[in-house]
Amino acid sequence: MDYYLNLINTIGIHTLLGLSAYLLILTGQVSMAQAGFFGIGAYTAAILTVIFEWSILSAIGAAMLVSGGVAFLVGFPALRVRGLMLVVATIAFSEFARMFFYNLKWRVVRDGAEIGPDGTMGFAEIRYFNDNGWLNWEVTIFLWVFVAVVMALIWWSDKTRIGAVLRAVGEDELAADSTGINVTVVKIAAMTAGGVVAGLAGSLYAHQVTDLDHHTFTVLLATFAIAYPILGGLSNVFGTLIAVLFIQGLLVEGLRFLGDWRMLLFGALIILAMNIKPLGLFDNQTIRILRNALGVKRRSGSV
Amino acid sequence: MEDFWYEFVEVTQTISDGLLFGSTYALIGVGFTLIFGAMGKLNMAYAAAALGGAYAGLAGFVLIKAPLVLVFGISAVAAAVLGYAIYFACFRFIPINNHLAALMASVGGLFFIDEVVVHVTRGSPLTFPSMFGDVFFEIGPYGIRGDLIFVFVIGLISTGILLYILFKTRLGLATRAVAQQDVAARLCGIGVHSTNSVTFAIAGVLGGIAGAMTAAAVGVLSPVMTVPLTIKGIIVAVIGGLGSIPGAIIAGLFVGGFENVFLYFRGIDERDMYVVALLFLFLVFRPNGLFGTAITRD
Repeated sequence: MDYYLNLINTIGIHTLLGLSAYLLILTGQVSMAQAGFFGIGAYTAAILTVIFEWSILSAIGAAMLVSGGVAFLVGFPALRVRGLMLVVATIAFSEFARMFFYNLKWRVVRDGAEIGPDGTMGFAEIRYFNDNGWLNWEVTIFLWVFVAVVMALIWWSDKTRIGAVLRAVGEDELAADSTGINVTVVKIAAMTAGGVVAGLAGSLYAHQVTDLDHHTFTVLLATFAIAYPILGGLSNVFGTLIAVLFIQGLLVEGLRFLGDWRMLLFGALIILAMNIKPLGLFDNQTIRILRNALGVKRRSGSV
Repeated sequence: MEDFWYEFVEVTQTISDGLLFGSTYALIGVGFTLIFGAMGKLNMAYAAAALGGAYAGLAGFVLIKAPLVLVFGISAVAAAVLGYAIYFACFRFIPINNHLAALMASVGGLFFIDEVVVHVTRGSPLTFPSMFGDVFFEIGPYGIRGDLIFVFVIGLISTGILLYILFKTRLGLATRAVAQQDVAARLCGIGVHSTNSVTFAIAGVLGGIAGAMTAAAVGVLSPVMTVPLTIKGIIVAVIGGLGSIPGAIIAGLFVGGFENVFLYFRGIDERDMYVVALLFLFLVFRPNGLFGTAITRD
């Protein structure tokens, strides 16, 4: 049972990660910085609950603010580079964040034991949930409430002008600019929002896994983060969720019996998927086919 | 005064060692920049293909006791084949405008090659033969390692041959034409796909040599070298200006020197942080790199 709860938790956290990248890809910014924001959120929340003994909600809130703040700052230089250069810059940022945490050493003695991030040894003993008597399924529900709220928020904003503005900037910045949209504000806002959501994911991750290691926050994680929205397509948030279910549920766990050969298959599958469906598994074409097959009527004027 | 002189010698020694080692980064950077110049896309699997070639060369050494020159040759050829395979799997069939899908596909290629290497070698690092390892020149207070000089010279020769091919042969002409404007090139009868695959193969040759050079200079070949090499290669290509070969060369030497200086002053844990910070500085103040064409801010 615990195994499945763990899996469900991982799916939830990765969904949040994917959604944070989704927001950015909507505006045309492919950001590999989500792993960095994830790490910042994780370490901030963990430091707050472990060293300063804050409660979980305030710690998560503060972590979201910190990673959102860093994302805001990253958004400005990100404006100067576009396309693939942004990918490079954000990879560099994520690596910088990872190396920063690799070197972070802040040990505090409490009740006779040393706690806190220990540089290269990682950050162990993030025991907020255990110490406060949370049961495993309570953690899962707690986590998924956040996921549901974020998904609902993004889904709702997609139906309003916010979604249209984000997508307009993503499609064609010049055209969006000429209709009066302030492209700078939109892009930085998207980056900040992405940072907030990634920070949320990180803070939940830190407490769920109780032990942080810099090896988690690599380019690989950042690749996963953008893989979900790319694979799931950009039409709506459920594409990302399904992509997470597919990759984490089916590939990572379901093919666990393949042992070491999983990563090989994973690499080959990515190549195959990108060649067959370069616009994602749930691009507009597929959704149209699905809608026609299921006989769902659509309001006129939309795809 | 004595101490200052000693420190000065140490630092310049570090810089010169770094510069020589930087020729490996220069070659990898040139490979990235070639592919970016030709297709406007970043090939994330490039360093993996380079190291894969180096492994093939090592296999040649281990299995048939090949002399070092042949090892380098096998590395170059194997990496060229891998490069072509990457082009075929990750770039050929994806629509030209879709940068994202090509990027993801090449990341998939990176994972794939890395995992194959890990499986074949069971994940353990292997020793790579080095040439002139025991040669050591002394010039005044400075010492220069023979194997680093060897690596530097190979880098010079490879770059020279590359520039010759690019600027003095019809193949190079076709590559540059496709890089400039692929529609016009097609109208002139140049096959875009065949030219691009040749570009990938040439970049692969450079990568294989660079991979073998890195392994020879460090003495060890291990799959964990892939991601750092990829990142450093991209950093070098960006600092030099994407699409500019002289830029990549100079940036490679520069990064090599800088990296060693940071290593000397701050130790290995923080070294990579400063290299990445260097990239930031460039991206903020000079996003087109040292020699790239100016990127205008719309």
